[in-house]
Amino acid sequence: MSVTFTFLDWLWVGLFLLLMVGSGILFYRLGKRSESDFFLAGRGLPWWLPASSVYATHTATDTPMWITGVIYKNGMAGIWYTFFCGWAAISAFVSTRIFRRSLAYTQAEWNVVRFTGLGSELLRGWMAGWQFFMNMFVLGWVGIAMGRVCEYLFAWPTWIGLIVFSLVCAIYVLAAGYWGVVMADFQQGVIAFLVIIIVSVWGIHTAGGPNGILEKLEVLGELDRINPFAFTGWWSGDFPIAWFITMMLIAFLGGFGMGTTIDWYVEAQRIQSAKTVRDASYSIWWGTILGLVRNSVWAVAILAFFVLFPGITEQSEYEMGWFRLGFDYLPAGMLGFFFAAILAIHLSTISSHLNLGALYATRDLYQHYVNPQASQKRLVQVGRISTGILLLGSFFYGLIMEDITSWLIFALWIMAAGIWLPNILQVVWWRFNAWGYLSSWIANLGFSWLVVWILPELNLIPHLLDYQQFWILMILGAMVYFPVTLLTKSEPMDHLVHYYVMSRPIGWWGPVRREAMRRGLILVNGETALGAEEASRPADTYPNTP
Amino acid sequence: MIRRRWSASEADEWTKEDWIAILLSPLCYVLITIGAALAILLQVSGYIMLAVGIAMTVFLHLVIDPKLKAISNEYETKQQDYLRELEAKVRWESIDQKAS
Repeated sequence: MSVTFTFLDWLWVGLFLLLMVGSGILFYRLGKRSESDFFLAGRGLPWWLPASSVYATHTATDTPMWITGVIYKNGMAGIWYTFFCGWAAISAFVSTRIFRRSLAYTQAEWNVVRFTGLGSELLRGWMAGWQFFMNMFVLGWVGIAMGRVCEYLFAWPTWIGLIVFSLVCAIYVLAAGYWGVVMADFQQGVIAFLVIIIVSVWGIHTAGGPNGILEKLEVLGELDRINPFAFTGWWSGDFPIAWFITMMLIAFLGGFGMGTTIDWYVEAQRIQSAKTVRDASYSIWWGTILGLVRNSVWAVAILAFFVLFPGITEQSEYEMGWFRLGFDYLPAGMLGFFFAAILAIHLSTISSHLNLGALYATRDLYQHYVNPQASQKRLVQVGRISTGILLLGSFFYGLIMEDITSWLIFALWIMAAGIWLPNILQVVWWRFNAWGYLSSWIANLGFSWLVVWILPELNLIPHLLDYQQFWILMILGAMVYFPVTLLTKSEPMDHLVHYYVMSRPIGWWGPVRREAMRRGLILVNGETALGAEEASRPADTYPNTP
Repeated sequence: MIRRRWSASEADEWTKEDWIAILLSPLCYVLITIGAALAILLQVSGYIMLAVGIAMTVFLHLVIDPKLKAISNEYETKQQDYLRELEAKVRWESIDQKAS
């Protein structure tokens, strides 16, 4: 299809871009004050600002395509796929609270707060480099999605949509850093949410309203599509209950850990930008529920698209369903407003990943390993240079993305499977140490190659379903990191006690807690110490404590 | 029923209020998301799920908010010291001092 814009349509687009770039100029002075301002807005934001950023960042250009895909294919049951963000439900009251108290700028830095010594430094360096690369990767992925939307709408070559809008976004990210990101995200979040409602309601109305959708589904013999529990059996089919249970466990229980999904790394920055622990908790909880409600509205709009255009078998065609509802049915003059909202969706994701990738490069790589005594002015400069490198790298990735989609899926599997449990253990179990965590990353890299690609290719094992891969990778990984953890020394008790008193983690921290009480560092019911027998127990009698 | 006053040391402990939040929060997400979708489709089950989800969300916040406020207030008093330690760590100062 090719859409023709009127003057009014282009006016909407122009005004929107002006508003976004204006944010950068407006907050330029705040952003350049310090590293803390350029990357965390000075750690002073009320909960609703990072919440809007959580919502806006996770409404990317490819999100409506992906959600349209799963709902068109599976009906309302497909909405469970969108619960990958469900970790926020528990995290808001557990790991968010613990991470905010650590004050670490990034998840990479958190490693040296929780662990110590060479192992923690190896973890920090690895995670920072990997996150710099992943953010560049995500930028390319989201950028090329915008390129495809522009190709679909205007018949432009894909590189135009990829490069032009990312460049506009870079203006306010370079100028104001995270201040620009979060202020633009707030505006973009409001615009995007409004337009998602307008377009979806318009689509539902076009399909005959809720009753019209139900009647048409009945005529098509597809009424089961409104049942969110319409699975394909326990173990087989496109969407078995076994996969549903696996997804819910991964999603919700992941909230006890840090980094159990790729989204955590983005939210970690929002958590630290909140002014208090309470603000951090609410920003994660409310930003995520807003995204889930958006998914509900989208799901019904996609059912409307299904009854209007049933029987599309080509995935690339039905994935554009929600965009078609807008561009096919909105009146002239509103198309530009719709496109401005698509730009809002796009820019909010691009800006967040530009600033986040630059944070890892600046704080964890440049400042920690290259120039520890760098001035605040220098750190902001390096932040801007890193932003520019990420931008250029994302263009490269975006343009070769078609060839490496399977690599991306592999990268996401690495995140989800073999290190899911270690990401929880590092939070809830005092004995889990840096070597155990590092070994889980290395083991998972090897095992996921073997299980997902190499062994099936050699016909040594069959191609496994998603949930089977997940559980097998988890078991294989555990056979490595548990022995490594137990055969190496625990972190020094002094370090653990300091971490415990600062972060007050949940879970199995008994020996550390008792030692903190023995030292009079924490109070329980007004008491600083345990009974005489427990208090007199020396720290070095705890297992594996050096 | 709902504890409104927390001392700093009490709020730092993991208590039943935290576990109420941990258990209710995923239910709130599910009920509101599925309830909203089905309510837009005018399903009675959707209205019920959405109403229960909203009521549960209000209760969840009533239970956890006083505690989160107490934790935040207590932590604010220590934050500057911890930040100084973090900055020393990124500059390797704590490690250098130990070595010397």
